[in-house]
Amino acid sequence: MRRVFIVGLLALAVFGVGSARARLADIDAAKSGTKDLLYMPNGKYLKAISLGHAPLLADFVYLWAIQYYSDYSQEDRYRYVEHVFGDVIAELDPGYIDPYWLGALILTTEGRDEEAGLRLLDRGFEKNPSQWILPFLAGWECQRFGQFDRAAAYFDRAAKAPGAPPDLFRLKAGMTARTGNLKEAIARWQDVLDDPRNNDEARAIAARQIRTLSVRADVEALDTAIATYRERNGRLPRRLDELVRAGILSALPSDPDGNAYAYDPSAGTVFSAASRVLGS
Amino acid sequence: MNAIVAIALNTFREAIRDRILYLILAFALVLIAVSHFVSLLTVGSEVKIVKDLGLSAISFFGLLTAVFVGVSLVFKEIERRTIYTLLAQPVRRWQFVFGKYVGLSIVLGSSVVLTGAALLVAVALKGESPFGLLPAIALVLVELELIAAFAVLFSSFTNPILAAVGTMATYVVGHLSWSFDLLEKRMAGDMGKAICRGLHAVLPNLDRLNVKASAVHGLALPPGYFAAALVYGLSYAVLIVILACLIFERREFV
Repeated sequence: MRRVFIVGLLALAVFGVGSARARLADIDAAKSGTKDLLYMPNGKYLKAISLGHAPLLADFVYLWAIQYYSDYSQEDRYRYVEHVFGDVIAELDPGYIDPYWLGALILTTEGRDEEAGLRLLDRGFEKNPSQWILPFLAGWECQRFGQFDRAAAYFDRAAKAPGAPPDLFRLKAGMTARTGNLKEAIARWQDVLDDPRNNDEARAIAARQIRTLSVRADVEALDTAIATYRERNGRLPRRLDELVRAGILSALPSDPDGNAYAYDPSAGTVFSAASRVLGS
Repeated sequence: MNAIVAIALNTFREAIRDRILYLILAFALVLIAVSHFVSLLTVGSEVKIVKDLGLSAISFFGLLTAVFVGVSLVFKEIERRTIYTLLAQPVRRWQFVFGKYVGLSIVLGSSVVLTGAALLVAVALKGESPFGLLPAIALVLVELELIAAFAVLFSSFTNPILAAVGTMATYVVGHLSWSFDLLEKRMAGDMGKAICRGLHAVLPNLDRLNVKASAVHGLALPPGYFAAALVYGLSYAVLIVILACLIFERREFV
């Protein structure tokens, strides 16, 4: 009788544990995801009570965040990304680089909040000025969103960080070219060409870019002059030297090989044989 | 001198026989091994998690050893009444306390060396040089020596439960000593400010011995920091052990 009672009690206890656990899991699953994050305190306070184990706490929050943001069923899951990665993990362990770029990646790629992603990368670089990878990634994010001037500024910061590879100046020059400021871009490629840290291959690339951009700048200047001439005279110039005679240009530019630019008077277009070797 | 060595070695042997020590050591080693698997859950650098978990395991389980072994060192001898036999020998009371502390220090040293070596191997297996962790491991040992000194101090005049509470409280306060600075700024009266300043100066600042973050990120310590931290921790421990000896000298056994 006693044995039956004990076994019955045991079975009841097992049932109680199993059913209560399942019920708690159901209640948990029904909760809205981001409410959990409301209770996550700032890393400054967590650090204060971590008793010297703040880096480990940062690891645990980071591991939790990876699992949390891997769950695509969470509602409103991007609302606290900056708080978790910037205010919590970065405050607990400012030297931990992975959370900056991962948080920024989630914000810009999935959350579509480019400014928040850039803020996180900026914060990381501010705390870790030798980590050129952070402004480097910020530069690519800006490039992806078509903000070439900001991208150039980020690549410039990355290139000037200690230990950064000199190739980053090439990215800066490339982004400057994409802003449309060709004179500035030529000057930046000239910097690459003059930098003794660069190898022959990098210099050859810089020389080709200067050649291309010079042609582009000249053609743009000639196109503008032709348009001005047409506006004044109601027709296209028959030859390019008419632009000088009309006082629109002080002199005709030559292409990088020293040859004159070719001109099609029927279409009013300018081109150069030099541009054909570009990219070779 | 011989008495101190004999007591220290006996304390060490006694601690080694204690199964709690093995349990704590096993937990630390298992945790370091498990860190390898935990690190697989991350995105980015896996070795950072191995280092953090390893250093914290060495520190946390070392703390448990210092507290659980340290607080009963003197009390056990009194409770078993072996203290009478001991003190009937040509052994001074301070030699007894100091010998006990040295024995506990050897236990902690062995534990840190063993778990530290396991961590170094775990980091090396991840393909990274582990030697940058050595200053952090050394200062963890200094911190444990200081905590052990407090455990012996409390053990010299109270029972193990109170001694454990006192030692743990010292550990917590030692890591929150920055709060006295904060409190001082908020205090209105000069008296309150002076008390805060005094407590901040007198209580141990264990954060000064915590260079785990710098070691994990491979950042160099400021010149002279390691030596100063070493001198600070060890001098403080010597001070506390002297205090324990003085208290034990005046204690009366009923």
